[in-house]
Amino acid sequence: MGSKDRVWEVFSQEAEGDPMVHGGSVRAPDEELATHYAREFYGRRQESERLWIVPRDAITELDDPDLLKPPFDRSFKRPGGFLIKHKLEAARERAGSPQVDEEGE
Amino acid sequence: MSELDRETRDALAELLLAMADDEFVLGFWDSEWTGIAPILEEDVAMSSVSQDEIGHAKALYELLAELTGEDPDQIAFGRPADAYRHAALMNHARTDWAFSIARRFLYENADAVRLESLDGSSHQPLAGLAAKMRREETYHLLHFDLWLRRLAEGGSDSRGRLAEALEMLWPDAQAVFAPLAGEARLLAARILPDSLETLRARWLDRVVPRLEQLGLPVPSPTQRAAAPPSEARTRRTPDFEWLHGEFTMVARSDAGATW
Repeated sequence: MGSKDRVWEVFSQEAEGDPMVHGGSVRAPDEELATHYAREFYGRRQESERLWIVPRDAITELDDPDLLKPPFDRSFKRPGGFLIKHKLEAARERAGSPQVDEEGE
Repeated sequence: MSELDRETRDALAELLLAMADDEFVLGFWDSEWTGIAPILEEDVAMSSVSQDEIGHAKALYELLAELTGEDPDQIAFGRPADAYRHAALMNHARTDWAFSIARRFLYENADAVRLESLDGSSHQPLAGLAAKMRREETYHLLHFDLWLRRLAEGGSDSRGRLAEALEMLWPDAQAVFAPLAGEARLLAARILPDSLETLRARWLDRVVPRLEQLGLPVPSPTQRAAAPPSEARTRRTPDFEWLHGEFTMVARSDAGATW
């Protein structure tokens, strides 16, 4: 061991249906030991329903700020930029559906 | 528990003490790897497995204490070294990594065979505890089989050390199935569903083929045929006396203190 070690990223799910959340990483020479160590670090206290163990070098990373944080104002691309509450009410009236007290943005 | 007659109760107490001491002493030996295991991740893994064993010992001591009306802490920490009843396998110091792995492989398989049988014990508290312990031991079995294979295939140095440790430990590993004074009574009451000799044969059927598969030494037919002597659970060594001094140190420093 040592030079042949790889880093494995561990994702865990706390309860069935929850999203897989990145927990951290372990170092191990292969998948088998990585699985054992992931279990020790992220599962031995009954805190996980499921673990995903992924070799770090299998992850494609995108962190280019030109692609992810372009310098111009992009707020119009967010759905929050539109107020649809009144349009929704009008549409419901037209359709004759009962009023629900669910708030549209 | 009052339905057990005195002799059956004593026999059950003897079995519980033997099992608890096996787990307790092995847990202490291997907890010595904390901080010095081959890699950091293994350090945590070995420490946690050792902690599991001490947890199992605690549950067994509590079951025993309920039966005898003693204090579980007193049983665990208050006895002189020669009153412990672990198998001779746990008489040896931690030694090197290959030695610790060889011992774990032999013990985890023995423990698995014992717990599978006790899962069907007529004594409900013991059957329930055995079922719980088995679930945790699944990982132990996997983990030490993995290490056994790695050391066997890891080159002449690790393989040589492993082979030497296995040969040295064979006779003492059999001691996990050393006869108990009250065994006939336990079998009659079906507290122990299978005799220790039956369990020993089952254990051999598991470990011998696995070792052969990995090209590791196996016990000779003569060694396999010889049932372990009853003193295999009473014989103590200077190694164990030292460990006993270590693990009782805090308890002795202020006997009877409330923590």
